[in-house]
Amino acid sequence: MTVLLIICCVGLLGYGMRAIFIVSLAKLSFPPLALRLLEYVAPAVMGALVMTMLTGPEGALVVGIPELAGLVLAAVVVARTRNVLAGLLAAMGIFWLLRHFLS
Amino acid sequence: MTQSPIKKAVLDTLTLFVPAIPFALVFGIAVNESGLPALLGWSTSPIMFSGAAQITLVTLIGEGASLAAAATAALIVGARHLFYSITLAPRFQDQPRWFRWVGSYMLIDQVFALTVTLENRDPNYFRRYYLTSGISFWTLWMSFTGLGLFIGPIIPESWGLAFATPVLFLGLLALAIDRWEKVVVAVVAMVVTLVLADLPNRSGMLVAAFLAILIGLILERIRR
Repeated sequence: MTVLLIICCVGLLGYGMRAIFIVSLAKLSFPPLALRLLEYVAPAVMGALVMTMLTGPEGALVVGIPELAGLVLAAVVVARTRNVLAGLLAAMGIFWLLRHFLS
Repeated sequence: MTQSPIKKAVLDTLTLFVPAIPFALVFGIAVNESGLPALLGWSTSPIMFSGAAQITLVTLIGEGASLAAAATAALIVGARHLFYSITLAPRFQDQPRWFRWVGSYMLIDQVFALTVTLENRDPNYFRRYYLTSGISFWTLWMSFTGLGLFIGPIIPESWGLAFATPVLFLGLLALAIDRWEKVVVAVVAMVVTLVLADLPNRSGMLVAAFLAILIGLILERIRR
């Protein structure tokens, strides 16, 4: 099955990323440019991922006021507390609350 | 006062696993929403053993992305493990070979966070602590993602729990930001993804991520 094959490939490559320095290249160091590039990978990919999840299959944004409020609150709470769980709970709280009152 | 590494590792792991429980539930919902068979979705737990990458892969397959795009995105999400590997590599230099191979499999966010700060420099202590923590997290993650698969479908869609997935990733995004350049990069990635959202197979996402990283490099150049 194709999906299982893809999962195995991702798993194997993911394992490779974890193992590469620990197993073999313990003393090798990255060129500085590569390190700087890697620094921006997380925000770029996460930003693109979040937006992908917020758009429907036809490319339209599927976000109402409750979702928007939840997302903003999550960003603020996590930025201030560095706690993803607190951000998640706060965002879901305001999302449910606003959805309840706006419907 | 040398506390037993095994006891300390179990206690630390249990404490750190509590915030991971909602992730397991979100994963269960994501698998359910993706339309993948439950067992196939769960197989990402032992094969990938990386919550964020698992949710990414499953969600993108469900969103109709091409398998290649979903796999690429999941791998990019997991790219931070390269940092963990390079950071912990010195502590593995005086370890037996088998442990380097087995330990790599267990190198998840939490195990990294716990072991990188270990003050005890004794290699045996490090190995026992690392293995206990890794095995404990593994067991808990396998059980709770399995549980999430059963609990996920029971929760009515009207609760809107699927919204937890973008929130979770926005939270991880906020956590990854430690200077303004990264805010610019994230915003560029979001805007370009939105503009290119109707490209086939969700490929706009990868273009956006690539462009945003380039912008980050340019910003870095200007700053210096």
